Formats: sequence, C-alpha cells, structure tokens
Amino acid sequence: MQFTEKSKQHIDSCRFCWMCHHVCPIGNATGLERNTARARALGLSMVARGAIEYSEDIINNVYECSLCGGCMKDCVTGWDPVMFTKEARLGAALDGKLPEYVMKMLENFAAKGNIYGTEKNPNIPVIGGGDILFYLGEDTRAKGCAKSAVELLKKAGVNFALLGDEPISGYSLDFLIGAAAETKAVMENCAKTLNNYKKVVCYDPADAKVMKREYKEYGVDLKAEVVTFTEFLADLVKSGALKVKKSDMKLTPQESPILARDLEELDSMREVLSACGELVEMLLNKKDTVLAGNLIMNEYMPEVMEKVAEGRWVNALNMDAKILVTACTAEYELLKKTKPEGVELMKIEEVLLKCL
Amino acid sequence: MTDFLFDVIATELEDAVGRENCSTRTIDKLTHSVDYFWLSRMWADRGLRMPEGDFIVAPKDAKETSAVLKIANYYKIPVTTWGAGGGTQGGAIPVCGGIVLDTKRMNKIYDVNTQGMYIECGTGSIYKHIEWAANEKGYATMHYPSSLTCSTVGGFLAHRGIGVSSTKYGKIDDMVLQMEVVLPNGDIIETSPAPKHAAGPDLNQIFIGSEGTLGVMTKAQMRIYEQPESRKFRGFLFHNMTDAFNAGRELLQKFKPSVMRLYDEAETASLIKKIVGVEKKGAFMNIAIEGVKEIVEVEEKLLLSTFAKYGAEDLGSEYGEKWWKEKITFFYPGHMMDIPQCFGTMDTIAPYDKIEKIYWAMKEAIETNFPQAKFIAHFSHWYEWGCMIYDRFIVDGKDVPQDPHEAFRLHQAIWNCGVRTALANGGVVNDHHGVGIKLGRLMKEQYGPAMQVFEGIKKQLDPNGIMNPFKLGL
Repeated sequence: MQFTEKSKQHIDSCRFCWMCHHVCPIGNATGLERNTARARALGLSMVARGAIEYSEDIINNVYECSLCGGCMKDCVTGWDPVMFTKEARLGAALDGKLPEYVMKMLENFAAKGNIYGTEKNPNIPVIGGGDILFYLGEDTRAKGCAKSAVELLKKAGVNFALLGDEPISGYSLDFLIGAAAETKAVMENCAKTLNNYKKVVCYDPADAKVMKREYKEYGVDLKAEVVTFTEFLADLVKSGALKVKKSDMKLTPQESPILARDLEELDSMREVLSACGELVEMLLNKKDTVLAGNLIMNEYMPEVMEKVAEGRWVNALNMDAKILVTACTAEYELLKKTKPEGVELMKIEEVLLKCL
Repeated sequence: MTDFLFDVIATELEDAVGRENCSTRTIDKLTHSVDYFWLSRMWADRGLRMPEGDFIVAPKDAKETSAVLKIANYYKIPVTTWGAGGGTQGGAIPVCGGIVLDTKRMNKIYDVNTQGMYIECGTGSIYKHIEWAANEKGYATMHYPSSLTCSTVGGFLAHRGIGVSSTKYGKIDDMVLQMEVVLPNGDIIETSPAPKHAAGPDLNQIFIGSEGTLGVMTKAQMRIYEQPESRKFRGFLFHNMTDAFNAGRELLQKFKPSVMRLYDEAETASLIKKIVGVEKKGAFMNIAIEGVKEIVEVEEKLLLSTFAKYGAEDLGSEYGEKWWKEKITFFYPGHMMDIPQCFGTMDTIAPYDKIEKIYWAMKEAIETNFPQAKFIAHFSHWYEWGCMIYDRFIVDGKDVPQDPHEAFRLHQAIWNCGVRTALANGGVVNDHHGVGIKLGRLMKEQYGPAMQVFEGIKKQLDPNGIMNPFKLGL
C-alpha cells in the first residue's frame, strides 16, 4: 500500500490525536476504539512504516468509516481522515485486496447496474420532456421511494424529466473504491446524460455531492447546473410555485452530513420546514449534525447502522421532537426501521404535501 | 500459554460478553496498545509495537464486567481497563498483555436527573456526551478539561481528572455522587447513596484515582449545574510570578472565580502569543467569573481592585474570551507538542508557601541538568490554600536520540529529575494526570511507609494482582 505524501502527513497527524473521538457516529454506536479516526490513522501509519501488513483486518477497519466528515469538521487544524480513508480504499482496490462484501457490491454493479443488485423498480415512472432532470439516484431507486416527491413536483407545475435508465452518479463507487478509473468512467458516463439538461435536481444529497465536488476534482465535464432537492423546494416555496399553509406541526430537521458539511447547505431545509410549521432543533444540528444511516454500509454492517439510527432518535427524543424530517433516502430508510413509538418520521416532500 | 488454553479462555470471554465484543484482531490490539503517553507514541512512530493485550474485551455492564473479572481471576490473567485511551501516563497500556477491558460499551446515559442535579451514566460514556445530555435539558457538567471530547467518565475518575473551571466547581472527585464498582473478584458493589457523609471513609475516594488497580468503575452519578446567567473574562499581565501568586491567593480569600490560569513568562511568550495573541512580555493571567449576574458584577469589582494592588495590567475581556473559545485548540496536532519532540507535563500541587519555590526549583533543575530541554509552565487550578503547576519540558526532535531505548532513557531521566525536585520541595508525584506506568516508581518516594496503606487495600481486594499490574506503583 503506497500512500501519497499528503495522506501520510494527515495520517501521522491523526494517529496520536483523540480530539474528535466524540463525534464518530460509528464509534459512538459500536463503542469500539477501532472506530475512531485516530485508530484508523494509527493502523495505516503502522502499515506505512512496514510494521504491519495492509491485511484484511486493517482493510475491514477502513471500511467501517461512513465518510460523514464529522471528524474533519471537528478538527481545528484541518486534518482530514476522510481523505486518507478514501485513499486507503483505493489502495485496497489497486492491491487487489478488497473485502468480499465490497467485491460483491462491485459485481452487483457490473451485473445489474447498481451495487445493491436489485432489478429495475417498476413503480418509478418514466417522465419525458422539460429541461430539468429529476435525478433520483441509486439508493432511492434500489431501496427507497420517491412517489411523494414526484407528486409534489407535479403539483408545483415543474416540467421535469424522470429517466427510465438513469445512469448511476458514481457516489457508491466513490464511497467503495475512491478515485479509481472505474469510478471516473461511471461519472463520465453519467455526466453525458446529465449534460442533456440545463438543470439537474438531485433527490439524494449524496449524488449532488459527487456531481458538484468529485466530478470537478476528477476532471469530469459536467455542464448542467446541479441543485439539491431541498434547495429546489426552498425556491419553489419562495417563488410561490408551492403555496404553503403554515400548520401546527412541530418539525425537527435531520439534515444529512452530506447536505450540511459537504455541500454546506444549511438553510434550505429550515426555510421549507419553517414555512410548514414550528422548527424544533436537535442540539447537534447544521454542520454538527450526526449521521443517521448509510445504505451502502447497511449491506455489510446492518446492526451497526441500526444503532447509528437509534442514536439519532435518542438525540431527537431528548429535545421532545414530535416529527423528525429527513431529506436523504438512506437516513429515512434506517430511521424508519428503528423508529420508536410516539414520534413521527416524514420526508420533507411529505411535510410540504400536507401543507398545500 | 498454549494455543489450546488460549482458545479456552477466548471462548469463555466470548461467552461472557458476546463474540463480537471479544477481539483478537490486530487492529484492536494495536489501537489499545498506544495511548497518549509519549513513550507509546514515540515507539509507534519508530515503527515498533508496544505491548499488546491478548484479548480486547468490551462488556456492556457491570454483570458482564464481573464475568470477565471472574475468568481473569481463575486463569490469573492481567486485566487493563481502557476508557478512551487519552491518558498521558501509560495507565491504560497492557504492559503484561492479557485482557484489555474497554469500557466504552458501557456508555448508556440512564438518567438526566434535574431534581437531584446529576446524570447517571455508564462510565464508558465520553464526557462530552454527558455534557450534551445536560445541555439538552438546559444544564451543564462544568467539567471542561482539554480532553473533554476524548475521555470517558471512568477515565477521568480513574486518574482524578480536572477541568478548567475547577476553582469554582472542583475536581472530578467533587463531581461524583455515587458509583457502581466491580471488584476484582467479580462482586458488584455500590458506594454510598450520597458523598460527604460520616458513615466511615468515603468509598468513592478509594476507587477514584486508583487507575484500574482496585476494580472497574462501571456506573456513576455525575453532578450537573444550572448554566451561569453571566460569564465574564478578564486578562491581566503581571510583572512577575510573585506578584501573580500573591494576587491570586488574596483573591481566593474573597471569592472563587471559575477559571484561574497564570502563565509563566516563557509560556506567555510562546503558546499564549500564538493562540491568544498576547504580544507583551510578562506573566499572563486569565480569570473567568460566572454565576448570577449581580454577584458576578460585584466579583468583577473585587477582582479589578485586588489585582490593581499588585500592579497587574488589565488587558480587558478580549484575550480571556479568545482563550475560552480556543481553550481546546491548544491540544490539536499542529498546536501541541508532538513527536519527534520529547516532552512531558509534570503537574504537581502545593500550598502557596511552597508553590513558587517548587516552580523555580524545577525550572532550574531541568534547565541545568538538561540544557537541551525547554521548560514552560502555567498554573491552572487554584484553591484558597494553594495551586497547581502545569510545567512542561520539551526537547526538540533534533536533540532526541535516534535509538528509541536511549530516547526513552532521556525521557525517564528528565521525569526523575523534575518529580524528585517537586517532592523535595513539598510537591506531589502528580496533580491530575495520574501515575500510570510512567511514575509508578516514584510513588514509594512520595509516600514512604504510607504506601503500605495502598498495598494493603490492593492485596485484600486483588490477591492475584491481576488488575492493571505495575501501575500506580502497585
């Protein structure tokens, strides 16, 4: 395993630093010391020094990270465990050492076009026309449901397209194997389709993140404007295309770390929810938000993902939340699976539909 | 140990805590072998592996902890308790191998009790998490050490930790009400339902500071406080340390600020200049006063008039507020001492009649005997009767021997010199970082025949000597 000089510098800075110990959603869920940025860095630093092999054991640890960026956000010096974790995953791919569960997902992708290996969802309609593409993404097509979102956009009079053969954005491959040639090829293929539209509205923040950030970083030519679903909805509310009546609902936003930290989108969801009801914040919100679930990791560590979601429910209940609102398929699905009694879970589009 | 016996013990431990919570994986053994102790970091930096546990075990509660300790006693296997690994004294390093008992699965917050003003939690809870739990209800723990985010409740109790607001709110031993402890033989006990009683010696205080040598603390009730209505900061610059000590002592006869921190000239010119931006020469002192608004206003007046008597320059609130904001920044990589430097913090405590003498004696001893070492200090925990020196030595990487064994010798020699000087002048082995493997040898030098009290308790509670061997000098 060869690390870049930049990665080595970050690994060596993190290996003896415990300061972000408290923010790791995985470490907090498992209680395991190895699920911390410093433990991962220590392992990799010993690999870099030749003291231990880049073995299955160390590689598995590299895949126990959700890349949520909580540690990175917490670091006042600016060290970046996400960066070296992704590089370590790429290294495992290049060395031919990917764990079996990762290989299985890559094989699923090769066979079915998505890492989950699911068949095309017949319930997702194909809608033609317009210069706006409503991009659902791999998680939603394989594991989620966007029926309410489609209904809402129709009610707002948005002329949009929904593809039957939507190419995957590359988010999942970027998560699994980082900046590998295969990831870039998938992104380039997706960009070709996206470039047929003026604007791409991403239902899932994960896809918006790679389109806005990694495409640029990897030199993928994307001309279409990419906006998140939440940003788009906030504009529809502001412009009056969606006429919202304020209700007495008490709404607690669960913003995904991707939305808050990677995309730095902090207001859109709040603008929409404030128009629909009373906002009740969790203590850890905005850039301090906590991951509530990741569907890719759910494929290989489902019990931990449930604990992650349960932890976020505890945060919500501690603030007497009545309705927890999400804008991310992965988080919605895992929160749904772990929902306690006496509290509701809604998608942002469901809240809006209720207030029209 | 034979492979067969190893498997026998592994299966018994798996039976006690669940297979997924008993690991022999390289990554688990490795990450539980390096804590914040300089030696373990230097060792790892040079690609060397520290002593590792054979089994990394994570019980979820006292019952599972009890089962683990019973197994360990039967097979006479060492047990080293691990909180979050942020200790500086090597207290959590499994120097004899055996079982590393990681407490972080015991992280349940059972009750935020705003009537009794405490949080009941598993000792594996990261302290910041119980602070968040208190904040969610509008309260605060008021325990704010630099390691707040990376230490467990049990970790702080194990080495008697302290936070920056200690003058007003006390040390961790002032903040605990009741504890659940698993004794080395597996018995689960509870300490008294309230502290400060006359029903014999305080059981809490036997286990607090015992660094995992007498049992495993598994649950604790930690105090919470109402958020202060007002918190004000004031920075001062003293001409010299003597004036600052006298001013601080006099102030504490009048009232208790929350934060009191005095930095010597060397630390004012280095860390304080870098992080807080104080450019002037002198000894910087930062004071925070907090509580009910009207009382804070009176205290502020007393502070200004007292410090003026000692010629302190009033720097206003800006630096103090900056310090509060950046109080944890000091400890992130890039701001903090780090490998390849050789360094250590020899915190000690003494009454006011001795503390300044200790400071100058330690400074002279270190700088004379180890000219390659820089000596800086601050005084960050103050009481009516005395205060603590947080004095540090730093040797630049270029002056640290290449041979790791020689580097270790240099480190030990500086520590011996510094701590023995403190002891000779009326100080103690340590104030709030603990003893661990780093300072165990010096405990007998401090206590002399009094050490037999600790040894007697240890022998009675842990006759097989399985609990964290060679730590605390036991």
